[in-house]
Amino acid sequence: MDSPILATTDLSSYLPIVLVVLMAVGFAMANIVLTMLLGPRRAGRTKGMTYEAGMNPVGTARKRFNVRFYLIAMVFLVFDVEIIFLYPWASTFANLAPGSDQSLVWLVRILFFLFTTVVAYLYGFRKGVFKFD
Amino acid sequence: MMERVTYLYPEIALFITTCIVMIVGLSRELKHRKLCAPISGLGLLAAGVLATGLVPGFHVATGAEVDPTAGQILLPNLVPYAKVLVAGVGILLLLLQAGTVDRVEEARIASGRAAFNPLRSNRAEYYAFFLFSLTGLMLCASADDLIWLFLALELTSLPTYIMVTMSTSRHSSQEAGVKYFFLGALGAAVFLYGFTLLYGATGSTNLNQIHHAIAAGGLSGLSLAGMLLALLGVCFKIAAVPMHFYTADVYQGAASSVSAFLAFVPKTAGFIAILLLASCAGWTHGAGDSLPDALRTVLWVIAALTMTVGNVLAIWQNSVKRILAYSSIAHSGYMLVGVVAGPGGGTFATSGIAAVLFYLLCYGVMNIGTFGVLACLEGRAGADGEPAEIESLDDLRGLCQRHPVLGWTMVICTLSLLGLPPLLGFFGKVPLFTSAISAGEIPLVVVLGLNSAIAAFYYLRIVGSCLLEKPETTTGIVRVTPFGSRPAGALASAAGVIVLAIFGNGFMAASEKAAAYDGGHVEKKEPRAAGVPETAPQALGPAKAEGH
Repeated sequence: MDSPILATTDLSSYLPIVLVVLMAVGFAMANIVLTMLLGPRRAGRTKGMTYEAGMNPVGTARKRFNVRFYLIAMVFLVFDVEIIFLYPWASTFANLAPGSDQSLVWLVRILFFLFTTVVAYLYGFRKGVFKFD
Repeated sequence: MMERVTYLYPEIALFITTCIVMIVGLSRELKHRKLCAPISGLGLLAAGVLATGLVPGFHVATGAEVDPTAGQILLPNLVPYAKVLVAGVGILLLLLQAGTVDRVEEARIASGRAAFNPLRSNRAEYYAFFLFSLTGLMLCASADDLIWLFLALELTSLPTYIMVTMSTSRHSSQEAGVKYFFLGALGAAVFLYGFTLLYGATGSTNLNQIHHAIAAGGLSGLSLAGMLLALLGVCFKIAAVPMHFYTADVYQGAASSVSAFLAFVPKTAGFIAILLLASCAGWTHGAGDSLPDALRTVLWVIAALTMTVGNVLAIWQNSVKRILAYSSIAHSGYMLVGVVAGPGGGTFATSGIAAVLFYLLCYGVMNIGTFGVLACLEGRAGADGEPAEIESLDDLRGLCQRHPVLGWTMVICTLSLLGLPPLLGFFGKVPLFTSAISAGEIPLVVVLGLNSAIAAFYYLRIVGSCLLEKPETTTGIVRVTPFGSRPAGALASAAGVIVLAIFGNGFMAASEKAAAYDGGHVEKKEPRAAGVPETAPQALGPAKAEGH
């Protein structure tokens, strides 16, 4: 392997990407074609409306809607980000020598990290994010 | 790896405090909610104590090899100094923050007109953001990597955008917040782009390795472009000239307590970043003791423009907050002189880095006094129940007669900002002058001197309003705030201005130690070049020592 960048010398390394692109395009096309062939057609007023994230697109634009939707999304985000950080930790943890005195330190560190997530949820709980009424 | 975590103990302490504050601030009981500020104070105290325990200097790399895990070894002694400074000034700032948010809401709850609604309460978030920002500032000091530095700078700035917006319910606060956020994003984009160019030019994001690459191969066009863009972006944080436009509007729009915070925290973060970036380039060029020519010229111009623009524009203002905002711009210009001067001979009188670090302390202390007095005074309550901010010079007329303590605090702190001899600001400014003289930057010293004279005009206007003029009876009522810790903070700052001026030797020695810069991981620095006035600082040294 002389060249540091494999892709400049060996175009076949792009093959998996081409395959994925083909699969994606094929899947989308197939779905559209299959829907045209198999799907039922029931036109109606509501169905003909512009899609606006599930809200009625006609009427005043200054309508109020529940902000809780975003709060839930944000609480999910905390969980999501936490998971992302757990993966590298988990994959490196296995590299520690068995019985190493570092393993406890590592465990405590990730527990500290998880604790901060608990704090985020506790904060959300106190803020009333999980109160549905 | 283990040893580097110990350097983050202050930040970890602050972070744990943040977690506690975030939960406690949402309690149903008022007496629990009120614990936010004391807990934050304890956390800052703990962080400060932990920071004093940090032993500066990781193992210093020798020879051609640079250990990327060595930690921040460009200015290693900066780490404990900056963290103790942040904790100390942070406690003073904390005193000013009482009652900044939730004032109207808490009054409604106390009078039984409303029940406690956690969604409406902002206290927990406010103190959490306050601590997050200080955590970011502490992180800046120990940054040894461009990515770390970027994240630390952003952690410092992002909470301040929200603090500005939520500090009052006035429209101007929201305007200020939006303005600050978008310009801040622009600044961040610019220095991030500079960082990527630096990485592209030197092949590393590690500051020590960048320093090594520049010291070995000189500053290439690409790395120079990167360095300049990075400095330009960081100029936003310190409110230096090409990026200063937001300052007056944002300081005016935010509550005075938040303006005090803005004048110290992002500025300190910016200066730490500038010092780190400049030490990457190294003060080992030119005659052996200056920055690379292009960099030196740009910083020179920015410094001269910043102090001139700040001072000249301040003259035209009638709002005290705008005057102080432009004065904050001018002070950034003064401090940039120290960056241009560089480490020099390494003593307190010759090291520009020590001068910058000491001036950050001085500016932090005296600035809290001026904004603190503004935070202590309030006008008539508006329709939303929130008292109006005190802004114009007219509101300060005869303050020394009406409220002698606050009036004299304002007078002392303003005179200190001006740099009047027996006060702290003077002892902060002297090393800036002496270091620049010893580095041979005579024209810049002249600009600095002229600007200090221009500044006298508007500072003396504030002093004159407070001290000489009669109280105004026709313009609105000015009352003292019911929150006792705000006057306490302002008073502590005025006391600091006097006490530190007399007993500041320890801090000067500390900043001299913190400024230790070893430009020679690669090549040992040559002794000072001939022709540079060696006598000036020595002549000034004993004279200054007498002052204490």
